[in-house]
Amino acid sequence: MRKKFLWGIVFILIIAVISAGCSSGNQNSGGNNGNTNAASPNEENGKQPAQKELPPYEITMVFMGNESPDLERVAGELSKITKEKINATVKLQPISAGAWSQQVNLMLASNEKIDVITTSSIFGFSTQAASGHLLPLEDLLAQYGQGITELMDPAYLNAGKINGTQYAIPTNKDMATQGGIIMRKDLIDKYNIDLDKVKTVDDLDHVFQIIKENEPKLIPITTNTTFSPIDVLAFFDPLVDSLGVLPGHDNDLRVENLYEHPKYAELLTTMRRWYQAGYFSKDAATTTEQPYEVVRANRAFSWFNVMKVGSAENQSTRTGMEMVALPLTEAVSTTSNVTGFMHSIPKGSKDPERAMMFMNLLYTDQELVNMLNWGIEGEHYVKKSDHIIDYPEGFDIKSVRYNMNNSSYMFGNQFLNYVWTTQLEDIWEQVDQFNQNAKKSHALGFTFDSTPVRTESGAVNNVKQQFKLGLETGTLDPEKTLPEFISRLKASGIDKIIAEKQKQLDAWAESKK
Amino acid sequence: MKQAEAVKRQSVAGKERYRVTLPVRWKEYRKYSVLFLMMAPGLLYFIINNYLPMFGMVIAFKDINFAKGILASDWAGFKNFEYLFKTRDAWIITRNTILYNGSFIIINLIAALAVAIILNEVRSKLLKKFYQSFILLPYLISMVIVGYLVYAMLSMETGFLNKSLLPMLGIEPIAWYSESKYWPFILPLVNIWKTAGYLCIVYLASIVGIDKEYYEAATIDGANKWQQIRSITIPLITPVIMIMTLLQIGRIFYSDFGLFYQVPLNSGALLDTTNVIDTYVFRALINLGDIAMSSAAGVYQSIVGFALVVVANFITRKINKDNALF
Amino acid sequence: MQAKERAYQWFINAVMALLACMCILPFILLVSSSITSQSMIIANGYSFLPREISFEAYAYIWNDAERIFNAYGVTILVTVLGTVLSLAVTSLLAYPLSRKDMPHRNFLAFFIFFTMLFNGGLVPVYLLYTQFFEFKNTVWALIFPMLLTNAFYVMIMRTFFQTTIPVEVIESGKMDGAGELKIFYKIVLPLSLPILATIGLFQTINYWNDWFNGLIFLTDSRLYSIQNLLNRILLDVQYLSSMDFGTAQDDLMAGLPTETIRLAIAVIGVIPIIAIYPFFQRFFVKGLTVGAVKG
Repeated sequence: MRKKFLWGIVFILIIAVISAGCSSGNQNSGGNNGNTNAASPNEENGKQPAQKELPPYEITMVFMGNESPDLERVAGELSKITKEKINATVKLQPISAGAWSQQVNLMLASNEKIDVITTSSIFGFSTQAASGHLLPLEDLLAQYGQGITELMDPAYLNAGKINGTQYAIPTNKDMATQGGIIMRKDLIDKYNIDLDKVKTVDDLDHVFQIIKENEPKLIPITTNTTFSPIDVLAFFDPLVDSLGVLPGHDNDLRVENLYEHPKYAELLTTMRRWYQAGYFSKDAATTTEQPYEVVRANRAFSWFNVMKVGSAENQSTRTGMEMVALPLTEAVSTTSNVTGFMHSIPKGSKDPERAMMFMNLLYTDQELVNMLNWGIEGEHYVKKSDHIIDYPEGFDIKSVRYNMNNSSYMFGNQFLNYVWTTQLEDIWEQVDQFNQNAKKSHALGFTFDSTPVRTESGAVNNVKQQFKLGLETGTLDPEKTLPEFISRLKASGIDKIIAEKQKQLDAWAESKK
Repeated sequence: MKQAEAVKRQSVAGKERYRVTLPVRWKEYRKYSVLFLMMAPGLLYFIINNYLPMFGMVIAFKDINFAKGILASDWAGFKNFEYLFKTRDAWIITRNTILYNGSFIIINLIAALAVAIILNEVRSKLLKKFYQSFILLPYLISMVIVGYLVYAMLSMETGFLNKSLLPMLGIEPIAWYSESKYWPFILPLVNIWKTAGYLCIVYLASIVGIDKEYYEAATIDGANKWQQIRSITIPLITPVIMIMTLLQIGRIFYSDFGLFYQVPLNSGALLDTTNVIDTYVFRALINLGDIAMSSAAGVYQSIVGFALVVVANFITRKINKDNALF
Repeated sequence: MQAKERAYQWFINAVMALLACMCILPFILLVSSSITSQSMIIANGYSFLPREISFEAYAYIWNDAERIFNAYGVTILVTVLGTVLSLAVTSLLAYPLSRKDMPHRNFLAFFIFFTMLFNGGLVPVYLLYTQFFEFKNTVWALIFPMLLTNAFYVMIMRTFFQTTIPVEVIESGKMDGAGELKIFYKIVLPLSLPILATIGLFQTINYWNDWFNGLIFLTDSRLYSIQNLLNRILLDVQYLSSMDFGTAQDDLMAGLPTETIRLAIAVIGVIPIIAIYPFFQRFFVKGLTVGAVKG
């Protein structure tokens, strides 16, 4: 019996070795193909950029979104534009948000042919770059991306760099956020609440008290597991992952442990006070219900939310009642805001030059961008005036056959977009103003590469998940729990992460000089 | 090539010696060629689907860089395994994994066996069928849906328990999803609800298969129900119990991801009592997207599971050779 | 004696009825909540009796009927094709293993058993399927990975053949000059309906409930099965509504009865599998009876 067992193991090992051999061969040949293909057009193009000489090519664009019935028709129409300009056709490959991490990581790992892909600091951009999935873009950008370099503020463009190498181009959109609170206008009016008097977080006690006393059925503040009030009211630059932050968005570039910061403890005390006063719901730390849904069901009064241009209008549509948006922090632009959505060219691209040309069009070609966002004019939208659009007669958002979920912030240059009748007419001027007026974090453009401390990152994130929401919604008593939280973080190695971050940040600052 | 020649030479040399045996062997194989051919698709499938990907285990030992390719990446030794052992969490997740899965094996065995024995006592054929269908029902649905059912029961603001049942009993609502102390009871309960029905049917099937004569003889000897169960039913279905249990022991390091992730709604406050190796790795990956680390966890689970089965099997062999798996 | 026996039966039936109730009650909660109005659930919580019946969730799904029916089609195709293929491959593999005279049968059994303990992880499997077989965005990606997903089924079937098919029957078949294939097809399979039905049901459940392969191998939503659709809607509702990057109008999510839609889709996903179960049940216990006893 034992002998058989041993033989079994030997046999398995042999198979494993053989298979390893096969796959390695496969791997190499795939890589080589990619390289040779990529290299040849490069030489040709360098000498004579005449566009007609480009061989036909299909650009595969992978982005976060859902399929629409008319997706292929729109891709066909897009191809007509790109065929003429860069002799390439376009294949649109949306991947739904829920499957994004799984599918994209596997697609990248297996080197599938993708020419342009959405990358995001929320979805592991730094790891993707560090594991060699993405191509460096400097040369391509200089040669074929003039439209992008002319358009984008270098401060924003540099946010796509890791350790000095450009791996992604941020989309051109609103680049800053501001924390604030969304409240029901009907109740503000009913109880004559003077919002001019509310300047800081602590001024809100008064508002919540009125609501709690007069509307006992309502939860004064509703929350959700995705964003805690403290995430929204950030007084710091999270440096992407909040493990080691820059308080006040500057702090002379000295990285600090957020959870040891006095201001953090102070905010926690406020949250605890509110929780004990019954301003939060009892399941604030765990509920997955969306705040606007709870408000729409007439069960809550307000929630903390990130403020942007047109926030009040947006949220009023969502809740079906009139809302007011009250900013509580200043508007700041950090790397996280800028790198929320970017375009990258993966290693699997067979023609990175063409991919960059296509990206260039995404930032410069109004017809192309609008078609990608809203579909074909007359079928999926109609023009009301030069740049104002609406659904065609008899269609709405649910029945229109091309719908990208209004994710126009994901594609190239959002400022080229037509404006919907439900939006502010001068929204893009306002967004532009908003961007220009926003304070820029001192570390804007720095992206942390967490791979040198991945062991610690995994452990620290687990600790964070265990305590963060409980503390930041006041469910847990900070007096008792905050010290435990901090000591657990230290035991898991948060100091090592902060030290590594400081090192990278110093190197980054040095290179900027 | 050289090897092949060497083999050839050897076989020529060996021909003299094995002249008699070799053709017989060959003939035997030819006799079974059709049977081998029948097995071919299945065996080929296992080679492709299960054995070929095993080479992927090398990823666990690599400092993976896809610009270089999987095999050309630098070796990392056991660096990818560190996060499974170095932190305080490592102890918690290993403890949770073993305690939960261990208790699932025991509790499910007892529950399923008890229900199977009771079910076997039911006289009415119609009712028996009826019960069987109902008991197996939870096994038919996916964990995602189970998560929803549990949520409908436990939700703080809308759950059936907090909104309807507890107020009737005059008990204050309980924040189930933020009190970790309840989950060591909730999870096994959900697990029993979902899987015990299946195990029960397996055991019932083996009980039905027992020859009626044993019981008749026992009744004549004056044995009561309990004695019959203890000295006939259980010993006779022991082989089935052993097989089912050994299989579960082999998977003791793998947890039902849905049960530990979907059902507690991924609630942070519950991590102390709901975090197991699979969910820990998944959470680490969602944040980091690191393939090498997930491979390391897979290798760790495979090896420990394998070792446990070999040990359990060894012990089983010592006790009763017939009950062993191999 | 008679009275005592009757009381005993009453008691046992009461216990079983209670257990059966516990198994079925959550489903009732699911169904009744799916036909309650969304605002009722948020205001009053889930309950076994809908306080205000509303089919808004089903109406919303009906809007999307094209997608739902398509997903049903995929699920049914994959389940039927997968189960049939799986049964064919499993029984063809199990039968020779069950023959006591088969050379190397122990080694082969171990070869199969070993796959239950070790796996290479997701990445190599994905590489193999997408680069080597080009299964991506085909129904094969939903069928192939689960064909012999559980080596245990091969073991059960082997044991069934070993214990229920008398050697004499096979021998007499050989005497009549039948080949191995013919013996398998004409004699062994007809005697093995219970085990085929049992494994068939297991595989049907596995194929019906699978969402993982779809999550990994499909980007083309026309190939989504019911479970993929359910899973995607669950995940996307969470993601889409929690993201707040957009400055454009967000009325997509406004007005959707998200809570009840999930429940309604869950109901739609569960009902068919419950409906077909009785057809298999006839063979079920018998199949396991003999199959699970180790030989």
